[in-house]
Amino acid sequence: MHEEWSHTLLQSDPMRFYRAKRDRLHQAVTSKYTILGFISSGTYGRVYKAQSLEPDGQIHAIKKFKPDKEGDVVTYTGISQSAIREIALNREISHENVVALKEVILEDKSIYMVFEYAEHDFLQVIHHYSQTLRIQIASQVLKSLIYQLLNGLVYLHSAHILHRDLKPANILITASGVVKIGDLGLARLIYQPLQPLFAGDKVVVTIWYRAPELLLGAKHYNKAVDCWAVGCVFAELASLRPIFKGEEAKLDSKKNVPFQRDQLLKIFEVLGTPTEKDWTGLKDMPEYQNMRRLDTYPNRLAEWCQTRIRSQQGYDLIRQLFAYDPDKRLTAKEALTHKWFQEDLRPTRNVFFPVSAHHLPPQRRITQDEAPSMMGMPAPTQAQTLSQVPPGHGQAPGQHLSQQSVNLSQQSKPGSSASFGSVSGGAVGSFSGGQGGSARKKPRIG
Amino acid sequence: MATDFWASSHYKRWIVDRATLKESRSDDLQYVDDPEYLDFFAIFFANGELNVPAECKIALNPSSHNETWKKLNFRQRVIATAIVFFRRFYIKNPYCETDPFIVIAACCYVAGKAEESPVHIKNMVAEARLFFSQQPYSVKYFPSDNSKLAEMEFYLVADLECDLTVFHPYRTLLAICKKESSNDLQTEAGEVGVGVDDGPRYWGSGDGQLELPDDAFQLAWSIIDDTYRSDLCLLYPPHLLTITALYLAIVLHVEATPVHSSPRRSSRQSSSTSLSHGKKPSQDFVAFFAELNVPMPLRYLEDSDLVDSARSAFYGHAQTQPGASHSGVCTPVESLDDAQRPHGATPTFLLQVLTRMRENRLSDMAHASSGRPVAVNKMLERTQAAG
Repeated sequence: MHEEWSHTLLQSDPMRFYRAKRDRLHQAVTSKYTILGFISSGTYGRVYKAQSLEPDGQIHAIKKFKPDKEGDVVTYTGISQSAIREIALNREISHENVVALKEVILEDKSIYMVFEYAEHDFLQVIHHYSQTLRIQIASQVLKSLIYQLLNGLVYLHSAHILHRDLKPANILITASGVVKIGDLGLARLIYQPLQPLFAGDKVVVTIWYRAPELLLGAKHYNKAVDCWAVGCVFAELASLRPIFKGEEAKLDSKKNVPFQRDQLLKIFEVLGTPTEKDWTGLKDMPEYQNMRRLDTYPNRLAEWCQTRIRSQQGYDLIRQLFAYDPDKRLTAKEALTHKWFQEDLRPTRNVFFPVSAHHLPPQRRITQDEAPSMMGMPAPTQAQTLSQVPPGHGQAPGQHLSQQSVNLSQQSKPGSSASFGSVSGGAVGSFSGGQGGSARKKPRIG
Repeated sequence: MATDFWASSHYKRWIVDRATLKESRSDDLQYVDDPEYLDFFAIFFANGELNVPAECKIALNPSSHNETWKKLNFRQRVIATAIVFFRRFYIKNPYCETDPFIVIAACCYVAGKAEESPVHIKNMVAEARLFFSQQPYSVKYFPSDNSKLAEMEFYLVADLECDLTVFHPYRTLLAICKKESSNDLQTEAGEVGVGVDDGPRYWGSGDGQLELPDDAFQLAWSIIDDTYRSDLCLLYPPHLLTITALYLAIVLHVEATPVHSSPRRSSRQSSSTSLSHGKKPSQDFVAFFAELNVPMPLRYLEDSDLVDSARSAFYGHAQTQPGASHSGVCTPVESLDDAQRPHGATPTFLLQVLTRMRENRLSDMAHASSGRPVAVNKMLERTQAAG
């Protein structure tokens, strides 16, 4: 009789009908998007360029989280904390200068986040200027980039979100020249936290952009860590190379966080060794004794800025973003109202407004050879095949830093600021931090 | 986001009306004799949910044994979020097609992550298995395989449309009755300079403080706890629940006489309070509510809901866990009427009702209305072959 088998079934696979119903109603990724190519990969998974099959044919960046595997078999092991964060935060936020999430598709044990597409990112722009053009970024462009970055950061901070991984690769620019903060994989809400921040993630922010309080082992930190990173990004745009390019000391076998000697030295060489006067809490820092053993340096920031920033106000802004004491550091909001942005030439909505056509950065390079691993998947119900990514394809041959100018002609015309907003954009930042948020990032090319 | 409820997914997508709730039970109604049983499910499973993560946390973190209201606050939020997930899930799914125990465990598991207090899946499975195997549930089939819970999580997150940020009335309660300790509480939690809410305030005028005696505050807190035993968190924005809980607490707490202001430590607060309350008069609760920028008719409606639900919560609660007090404070509404307590709806009975519903549903789905049998598995095929 049916009672018997249904009873047994309810016990052996209690959610069978629910699952079957859900799967039946599910709209597969490939039924909604055409995958155009592969953009980049990282510890979190990989990013694809895709076109919506809806009539508008919008371009998107689809971030596919790596499915979990036990041996060769893809299995459910629980969604990572990092993915949950990125999804939960992105579902709530909406701002012109933050990459917009269109939808999340959960399919075949994999999570696909569909973002608006962005043609460029800060890292690519830096490489374009340093390698191809071999000129500095015009100060108006620099100002616009930083202004829009701060504008997005003010929004995140006002929503009590710490980004915790700001760096050039994670800050995107659409073809129409709008800056979009991307990759909230390390971000988290800090409003009334149930646990201290360090309890969740031992290491946050990529080493070169990591604030001194983090390097000195502070257990408590706040929005000021993002503002430090903005200072680093600012400096990097101005000089076309990372300002504090230290070597990261790796976690030891017991996962203890080591003293980041080299990174601190790189900072001290420019900003001078911090003193009690600069930073009242300095001697309470866990790594204070280690720090005292380092050589001392005078502050040379003004000198550093002279040729690179070429503006007294610009120097003042960067100086305040690099305040050692997190409490004295400029907040994103204060930075946004800094005099530098009110000086001529003012920031523009299209950051590329003053850039001539042949100086525009190239389009993001995509490759085809990686795409089949996502496109070639058979019917969505066949989970196993989906994840059979060839092992050799772990790192992308086609990192988007490529210097090749592809289809320059298709770019929006320089100064066509009227087209603002017509092309939305926002790929997820390249090979940036995935799960665990460690700073173990690929060294950049060049 | 944390500042703006009106822009949140919670407000935009997850406040529903009664018609929607009713509609969500339509499949279930075909399989149940008395629709009231479905209401009991809502309470019964929420009770289960209230207890699972509590046990988990205690097992994992012995220091949380110290149940001051502050600590309760920490843990409470994870549980509250889990319950909201559970209720949202059952807006979209009938009971008769799901296994509520796996859903509960998955809700707790996701809520832990959503509230940045993750529990390892292994521990979650172990605790849930243990907990549900005991009375009154006696569920012996809870899967020991981590991947089963992870699978449920995956589908759950999809069903929740990835909206994992939930607003709770506790936060409004803390904001309105700003306890001095709430600041300590935040710094203790590791944040320097956060939690200082510099956004606009919508309640009252001036400093927006309501000063309650501790036990009245506790009472309001417990009333909020009780709201999670009903669908109120789906029907009303959290701040309305807070206001109503405060209103009830003041009405019910006879000695809720105003507290005289004590000197404040925080300089930020003292500057604002000293302006508006030069010589602190005893606080006028009526005026406080009158000044609130909350539509009053709505609140009256809600009051009756809340009392009703608190009452029914008590039934469910008293029956599923005789003698256990959920929050240590007795809600006065609990004592309103013992006489009307329904008879017969014991946990065992409810579980039998559910099992019957699910079996019947399964059988109906296997024999679709077209008359063509749908093979669900080998076992069914065999059954059919056997005639």
